[in-house]
Amino acid sequence: MPAAAAIKVMVVDDQTSMRAMIRRALQDLGFKDVRDKASAPEALSAIKSDRVHLVISDFNMPEMDGLQFLEAVRTDPVIGKTVFIMLTGSADKEIVQKAAALGVNNYVVKPFAPAALKEKIERVFGELT
Amino acid sequence: MRRVSIVQGENAIVVEPDVVVSTLLGSCVAACLYDPVAKVGGMNHFLLGEPSSDHRVSAGDMQRYGVHAMELLINGMMAKGAMRNRLRAHLYGGANIVSGLGSIGSSNAAFAHRFMKTEGIEVAHSDLGGSSARKIEFLPHEGRSRCTKVADRVPERPLNPLPLPVAGGDLELF
Repeated sequence: MPAAAAIKVMVVDDQTSMRAMIRRALQDLGFKDVRDKASAPEALSAIKSDRVHLVISDFNMPEMDGLQFLEAVRTDPVIGKTVFIMLTGSADKEIVQKAAALGVNNYVVKPFAPAALKEKIERVFGELT
Repeated sequence: MRRVSIVQGENAIVVEPDVVVSTLLGSCVAACLYDPVAKVGGMNHFLLGEPSSDHRVSAGDMQRYGVHAMELLINGMMAKGAMRNRLRAHLYGGANIVSGLGSIGSSNAAFAHRFMKTEGIEVAHSDLGGSSARKIEFLPHEGRSRCTKVADRVPERPLNPLPLPVAGGDLELF
């Protein structure tokens, strides 16, 4: 069982309130090292220079959306295997299927309860302690 | 002039001139957002909180509903050319009309202000609180709004405006 405290997380969402809410949920789950960025290009650059274990990213962002971000991560030789969980809207089934094809590890539909986020993370990492 | 009327849980996004979006508010809040450069505007109408003592929602749930309602409006506007950093807001509603429902209106109003502050969206005008229902008319293209106090009580559906998926979706890919 991995300790949540040992998992480094990058949260990416263009909405400040959403980043704050996800950070709080992760902290309540025991995560200690949570960083966040408001855009995918910023996050990509940050995790290339300081790697993380888990990326939690919104889909609907200007400049570079969640699918483009996922593809950029997956095609990078260094950070390609980083666990990637996508946040989507309820009507985005096609996006989830595209994300699955690109190698997303899991997805969470907004608005979500902290328990849903925990469940999706645990399906990838195993039960958190 | 084309008229678009919205109710609780809905939003309307407009890019054309000569369109007025209207809604009736009690303890709900309507955020009228507009980008004065792109001439894109939109209004939502949300209630954070279950007006029933049996089904109170937690502060965390209220925050989630509200952030989600705002995100739907903002993302919809950005898809039509608005820029987040140019958005301005007019906020209405949040009245405490019905005795016995506590201060749901005040909670809604406080959320709306807190959200705009967190997101750095300038509140150009706000008319929140009090005990009267309001009729709001918004010209999204122009970024102008008008509020009329309504004597009659506005019926509010005792429903949460948005479902909160527990499992996080019905597509079982994983």
